[in-house]
Amino acid sequence: MTESVHLLRPIGIKSQVVNFQALPPLALYIHIPWCVRKCPYCDFNSHEVKSASPLRGEGRGEGGLSESLEQQYVAALTRDLEMALPQIWGRKVYSVFIGGGTPSLLSGYALGEILRQVKMLLPLTLNAEITLEANPGTVEADKFAAFADAGVNRLSLGIQSFNDAHLKALGRIHSAEEARAAIKIARQHFDNINLDLMYALPGQTLDEALQDIRAALAFAPQHLSAYHLTLEPNTLFHHDPPQLPDDDASADMQQAIEALLAEHGYQHYETSAFAQPARRAKHNLNYWQFGDYLGIGAGAHSKLSFPDKIIRQARYKQPQAYIQQVAAGAPVQTENAVTRAELPFEFMMNALRLNEGFEAALFTERTSLPLLAIQRELLVAEKRGLLTRDHQRIAPTPQGRRFLNDLLEIFLAD
Amino acid sequence: MRGLSVFIWNFMQLIRNFSIIAHIDHGKSTLADRIIHLCGGLSDREMDKQVLDSMDIERERGITIKAQTAALNYQARDGKVYNLNLIDTPGHVDFSYEVSRSLSACEGALLVVDASQGVEAQTVANCYTALDLGVEVVPVLNKIDLPSANPDNAIEEIEEVIGIEAHDAVHCSAKTGVGIEDVLESLIVKVPPPKGDINAPLQALIVDSWFDNYVGVVMLVRVINGTLKPKEKILFMATGANHLTEHVGVFTPKSQPRESLSAGQVGFVIAGIKELKSARVGDTITHQARPAAEALPGFKEVQSQVFSGLFPVESNQYEALRDSLEKLKLNDAALMYEPEVSQALGFGFRCGFLGLLHMEIVQERLEREFDMDLITTAPTVIYEVVLRDGTTISVDNPSKMPDPSKIEQIREPIVTVNLYMPNEYVGAVITLCTQKRGSQINISYHGKQVKLVYEMPMAEIVMDFFDRLKSVSRGYASMDYEFKEYRSADVVKVDMLINGDKVDALAIIVHRANSQYRGREVAAKMRELIPRQMYDVAIQATIGSNIIARENVKAMRKNVLAKCYGGDISRKKKLLEKQKAGKKRMKQVGNVEIPQEAFLAILRVDD
Repeated sequence: MTESVHLLRPIGIKSQVVNFQALPPLALYIHIPWCVRKCPYCDFNSHEVKSASPLRGEGRGEGGLSESLEQQYVAALTRDLEMALPQIWGRKVYSVFIGGGTPSLLSGYALGEILRQVKMLLPLTLNAEITLEANPGTVEADKFAAFADAGVNRLSLGIQSFNDAHLKALGRIHSAEEARAAIKIARQHFDNINLDLMYALPGQTLDEALQDIRAALAFAPQHLSAYHLTLEPNTLFHHDPPQLPDDDASADMQQAIEALLAEHGYQHYETSAFAQPARRAKHNLNYWQFGDYLGIGAGAHSKLSFPDKIIRQARYKQPQAYIQQVAAGAPVQTENAVTRAELPFEFMMNALRLNEGFEAALFTERTSLPLLAIQRELLVAEKRGLLTRDHQRIAPTPQGRRFLNDLLEIFLAD
Repeated sequence: MRGLSVFIWNFMQLIRNFSIIAHIDHGKSTLADRIIHLCGGLSDREMDKQVLDSMDIERERGITIKAQTAALNYQARDGKVYNLNLIDTPGHVDFSYEVSRSLSACEGALLVVDASQGVEAQTVANCYTALDLGVEVVPVLNKIDLPSANPDNAIEEIEEVIGIEAHDAVHCSAKTGVGIEDVLESLIVKVPPPKGDINAPLQALIVDSWFDNYVGVVMLVRVINGTLKPKEKILFMATGANHLTEHVGVFTPKSQPRESLSAGQVGFVIAGIKELKSARVGDTITHQARPAAEALPGFKEVQSQVFSGLFPVESNQYEALRDSLEKLKLNDAALMYEPEVSQALGFGFRCGFLGLLHMEIVQERLEREFDMDLITTAPTVIYEVVLRDGTTISVDNPSKMPDPSKIEQIREPIVTVNLYMPNEYVGAVITLCTQKRGSQINISYHGKQVKLVYEMPMAEIVMDFFDRLKSVSRGYASMDYEFKEYRSADVVKVDMLINGDKVDALAIIVHRANSQYRGREVAAKMRELIPRQMYDVAIQATIGSNIIARENVKAMRKNVLAKCYGGDISRKKKLLEKQKAGKKRMKQVGNVEIPQEAFLAILRVDD
């Protein structure tokens, strides 16, 4: 893979794909690839910690990682980060996101070790947002204090629903009661909490969907994500689809949820994201503004800009393969340069998710292409009523937000 | 001189011209392959399974469209070497004329019957054609190796249904090779050698013709009288065209040049002809210098019976479509086309076909071999329209139907349909024919088989009659049809409107009695076929200014990916690329995207 990149790499200034004066902001993503159980709707890189497996830790709670595996993985992450440093040399890091999988399977000590290494190796900004994804089970909640001590300042809880029947249908291992208890504990240690919820669940009514939102609002979280349950390829739900609410019913749910959250002062700033004022997820905003990110850990993806190119990387997905590849000094499995033709679409695919759109200048800042390069596409999108723009901003119209796929298609190179 | 005549007579005594009649999967191609192999026509290495069906589509559908041939040498048990000419026959109702031409080039036909299935209707029709042409029908029981084989029953059926003696029918298995020699021996004994006078003026029947990129038109001919050699001036008696022969020869099935083809023989002629239309199937070739007194009987002008519009999905593909049609036409004389402009679909071609299957084959070849994305409009027949001013016009396109106020009378083509089926399906077939405005002319019983004769509007045949017939008879019924006459008909044009705009390419012509129902059904079917889009789509059916049906495709509420966080964007990108590619196969009419199938909604309507 690296070889082909080499061949593609332009020689001489004229054939450069991009030409950056300044590089975009940089974020760090750390992937923890294990879960107690794989959920039937999940298409992320996660691997079950099998109860019979030697990986499983004794006395570390159900599905906990064994101490030795945890140590191995933390060491691999550290080594991975060290090897990646030359690619981001001299750049500040504005946010860290520890996602999975289930990062809360880690012990407080292991997490502390990871963040110690990050702070030693990278220039984190003072007010950097450090988010940890956590499962709202009892075992995890007991570790929240330790996670906060380790430096995590934002907790994202995968609640999904407050309805036990729906949680069961989603294959979640926690109960509604545990979810409530976990949020209460989380609030003692964190002042910035996100709750992930899903709607259009198997057999769910509009009323039930709203009950879930109301239950979440009772805890006044700073941030709320409401996802339409999607049947992704390569998931159990895709092979054996459950009975889901139809398009009209789920669209009704979305409308009602948006209205309810607006009533409670939440700003709907991205397709599925809602936040109290000044509580937008910095790390995610960076993705949506086509910023850079270094992803370390099994299966993590990176997007990194250089003065003359933008590259995408993916690391080995299987945890054991990843650990071995790090040891061998080559954790990156694929790497390719983004071509000039792909850039507009890739930018739009992210930036148009933002309900307020983006400042017109951001396009050139992040792609180094002139706005003129997408003049035709912008006109088509405008004519179809999917996009509005003035000299300052380019944004999706309400119609464009609902039909974002149709809007993005316009920017897809033939 | 006398010595030479005896030699020629002996030579002709050793020729057997035959074809194979078989139901679609009773093993015609396998048997043909076996025979070619046995006679050493092709080596083991060259034997590709089912060599005679050469086009991909034919193989996939298991039907033969172009007749092909093999001239084989077989050393019989009597010690003599016989020249066996196998002439393949097409196997579909759209090509019944070609079948009759192929059969008329033979003295004999092997009737292949599956020993476990017995006689099937499709075989019956071709068998009767053969018997009518005076061809000797030699029954063969195939698949004798199957445990379910019941030869006695099959023999009884042949005798009862076809009415030929079958007690001594050869038993064979084309699959295992058992009895293939017996088949040939039986053929030699039962099929008479060709008659004909080698010294008479030349009469050669064109059995088939096709275009070859290197040599131009190749004609497969059966010489009835006289002799044909290279460098001779020939005359085509139906078209009056003159040409000079370049090569003559036979297929083994590889082509092998010969010094001459004479009475009784089957072979090819190449005469530097550039266009297939000057070498029509059924025409008679004779010498300019010494022409035959008359042409061989049975020539028919092949005429398009079914018309439909073909439009490229992408308007910039118009030129490419024209080139593709031009190339297809080289090998398909029955294909007619002329430019057509549709308000909704832009530039395309009005094409004429022999029948619905022919249309499907052309469409499929354009998409497969030429990589075209096409919109096909509903098939229609030619209507004769008598205007109030006394003139008569032909209308092959619903959108060209004049305003009703100008029309004195509309006449539609009526065909005579022969239907063959086992008697348990007679009731269902009669019901179907009645629904399709047919009137019964005759019914006759042949053992367990029944022959029905109906007169029916051809418009009903071209819609979905064949598929319906197959479904009501579980595949056992077969049919052929022939144009009879134009008759006055009470038909009306039904227009379809999308979001209030008339879409010319969607107009259909139907009988007034069915018009309300058909209009409603087409609108309902289109509602199913047009996917939900960003805006409501209103579908209306109208006759003149009366709205007879109204359907609504409700707007989609949203189309957006719930989750997207940096990470692996390639999958999300693929998803959108797939969505975009899907839309490319739809035609944008106004701001509505209409899928290809919706233009043929009329074919999907049940009665």
